[in-house]
Amino acid sequence: MKKIIYALFAFLFFTACDKDDNTTKVDPVVSVTVTNLPADTIIGITPGVPPSGGMPFGAGKYTFFSLERGVVVPSSDSATNKWDIAFRGTAILTNSGNGGPGAGGAFVYIGLFNDLKTIPSDSTFRIENVPTSYAVPFGSNRGWYVYDGLNNLVTPIPGRVLVIRTATGKFAKVEILNYYKGGVTPAASASDIIKMRDQRYFTFRYSYQSNGTKSF
Amino acid sequence: MRFSGLLVGMFFCITAVQGQVGKTTRPDTLYGSANEIIVTATRTEKKLGNVAVPVTLISSKQIAQAGSVRLADILQEQTGLFLTAGFGAGVQMQGLNPDYTLILLNGEPLVGRTAGILDLNRITVGNIKQIEIVKGPSSSLYGSEAMAGVINIITTAPKRNEFALSARYGSFNTSDINATYNYSKNKFSYQGFVNNYHTSGFSLRPNSQTSFVTPINRFTQQHQLGYQFSDKTKLSGSVRFNRERITNEIAVENNGVIVNSEGKESNNDANISASLTHRFNSSVKTNAKLYATTFTSEQELATSSGAPYTDYFKQRFLRFESQTDFSILKNIETSVGAGYLLDRANSTRYDKKESTKENAVGYAFFQSEWKPLDKLVIIGGARYDHNALFAAAFSPKLALKYTLTNNINFKASVGRGFKAPDFRQLYLNFTNTAAGGYSVFGAIEAQKIINALKGIGQIASVESDFYNLSALQPEFSTGYHASFDYTAAKKHTFSVGLFYNNINNLIDSRLVAYRTGGAQIFSYLNVKTAYTKGLEFNADYKIGKYYSVTSGYQFLLSGDASELDKIEQGKVFTRDNNGYSKRLSMSDYVGLPNRSKHQLNLKFQYQKNEAFASLRALYRSSWFVTDTDGNGLFNKNDAKATGFVQLNATVGLRTSKKITVQLGCNNMLNYKDPINMPNFFGRSGFVAINYSIKQSTEK
Repeated sequence: MKKIIYALFAFLFFTACDKDDNTTKVDPVVSVTVTNLPADTIIGITPGVPPSGGMPFGAGKYTFFSLERGVVVPSSDSATNKWDIAFRGTAILTNSGNGGPGAGGAFVYIGLFNDLKTIPSDSTFRIENVPTSYAVPFGSNRGWYVYDGLNNLVTPIPGRVLVIRTATGKFAKVEILNYYKGGVTPAASASDIIKMRDQRYFTFRYSYQSNGTKSF
Repeated sequence: MRFSGLLVGMFFCITAVQGQVGKTTRPDTLYGSANEIIVTATRTEKKLGNVAVPVTLISSKQIAQAGSVRLADILQEQTGLFLTAGFGAGVQMQGLNPDYTLILLNGEPLVGRTAGILDLNRITVGNIKQIEIVKGPSSSLYGSEAMAGVINIITTAPKRNEFALSARYGSFNTSDINATYNYSKNKFSYQGFVNNYHTSGFSLRPNSQTSFVTPINRFTQQHQLGYQFSDKTKLSGSVRFNRERITNEIAVENNGVIVNSEGKESNNDANISASLTHRFNSSVKTNAKLYATTFTSEQELATSSGAPYTDYFKQRFLRFESQTDFSILKNIETSVGAGYLLDRANSTRYDKKESTKENAVGYAFFQSEWKPLDKLVIIGGARYDHNALFAAAFSPKLALKYTLTNNINFKASVGRGFKAPDFRQLYLNFTNTAAGGYSVFGAIEAQKIINALKGIGQIASVESDFYNLSALQPEFSTGYHASFDYTAAKKHTFSVGLFYNNINNLIDSRLVAYRTGGAQIFSYLNVKTAYTKGLEFNADYKIGKYYSVTSGYQFLLSGDASELDKIEQGKVFTRDNNGYSKRLSMSDYVGLPNRSKHQLNLKFQYQKNEAFASLRALYRSSWFVTDTDGNGLFNKNDAKATGFVQLNATVGLRTSKKITVQLGCNNMLNYKDPINMPNFFGRSGFVAINYSIKQSTEK
């Protein structure tokens, strides 16, 4: 696993949240974009033909990420509070419940990333109870993505914000932008070879509020 | 220079031969004159000019001059009709899918649809007298499937002794041969017709092993017998066999592994009809007819992965119908009728081949045409279908025609049509063993199958729609139409019309469960509503003695009211150029996919003595194909096919009384779109020769 070099690019820039500068206290929250985060990329296909076989599979490992520090966390630290969110294929895990020792959790907000300025006080954060239920609901058209079975493509649903409670109980918001290498979804007519090779690479943007408040 | 280039292009694309030319010797106009007799619009013989509902007539001459061979060829040149690809050529009418157009052959329905589509390439045009197209709600007296409209193919009747032979050869080793023999003596008449069509197929993708149009051989024979007992009583019968042999070479890619399949497909349909007509007196006429048809499709594929694929589908359809037309009151003509039909299917696509799926329908209809004033015609009618499998359906209609001035007519109609769920939507049991391994189960089977799979631990999870599965209801549509017809100088005609169709209870496939391993399971639910609305314009303008220009335009809007509501509430999003979500604005909504907003055709004809020529330009604007932004509906950010112009031309010469020669070139601009229109030919040409001997006396 160590041989895998994570191509990780973080673009930092100040967002429109700067307007909040007038209201003192609140730290400027930046929006960070992460591209090409591999999430259990495909290494083979199960024997047989669909639906019983012929399914692609990866090594079965999550990629752990710290929203606080903006870095990938080695899987040896999976049982610690060092990570906040983890990716494996289309499954997204928070550091909560039976998913990790942390005080994390999540829910899916329907709306725009920039419109979510304050997490509503009555929001309920779900915690992990995998594989029965995930904090970020697992499956097509349930949580963050939709799977088009005819064209064999995964597309993040626009207008979905993952509101994350981090391992240490801070808050962050995440918008998944793309599921394919380079942040570009292959064309519907592209060959399965390309679709398989390029999938399971996350591009997302997030804002992390370090001061513990629910405002961004 | 450009013109000569075009000619050279035409010359090169001609690789050699076609028929039907000169079949018609009637001095008709190219586009149905007001005096043409049509039957589909009102279920009785009427002059085209007297019909209150919108109807399009395609004459045999028009078919011949366009050089059409299969039904799909000529329909694609008509205003407001689009051909769809996948499971054969289907026709989209008034923006509704091919499932909603009823295809009749001499008034009797053709069966054998795959995924709702009846392949229009199955039907040869070699013995067609005329094609009648009725759009919208006025077709409601035809029962299920006639929601968007009815296409009635009328074959030639044996009226005189004649022998005709035509042959055509063209690009892609495509040949079409017709032979017709008509015999008529005293009270007896016979017509025998055979057609053989062959193509070696073609592929638009270079280096592909797969031909997108696979090698096909089609053989059709039709025999019609008539016996006139007396002036008042006539018995007629018709037998038709149609056989298709298709060679399949399919390459399916699954997760990078290409599975090559080779095999054969055969489709056979047979139609037998008998009809007895008796005229009691000048005002009462009765007809009784019995019709039986079968369609059998068999496909066997041997695959390189070792798993053979076989598909078997057989549909048997039996119908008895009687109709009586009478006019007791001077201004009122009435038709009443009733019928019974039995529809049965066996298929490997369902649970097992041996179990017969069956639906029986009893129906009755009436229609009255009332002429309260010289200038006004009012038609009221209704049909009631009692279904063994579903709820009954009642479809009323009302139409009127008002003559404003000598040369302006106004027509309006409203009606309700329906489509019963088909066997596929009820019983399908299909698992794609290639792409993604998804399954589709019919509504009756889905819960049973999924529960059984669950019992053996093969279901990972079920979706909320699983619990919504219930007995399917028929789909209903209410349609409105209004139009003006204008005739100038007794020879130029113009018409403009508006239409609106509102469909409820639309059946759509929905994700209902996941298998262990992630494969998706779909089923059918009555979940959607949809509307289509638009404008249709047609003009026929004659220039001098020899030239005419016809033009047609359709403007089409479509959508789903519930999708519009969601957009209005701000609950639908798309992505901006940075990939960030943004709210979808109403103006970005494009309605239903696979529909072009604009369609235009412009046709120039020339005919002088023995020579004729035609040039036809067909344009359709872009249409949306895939929801690429994942928001579940179609908007300007989604993938679309670009609009294009197709240019077709033919020239012909009648070299003697018996022989006509024709050259043609289709898709002269060589437009191709392998992704969105894989079975759309590039430039192709043909040469055709027609030979016919007629006995001069008309019976």
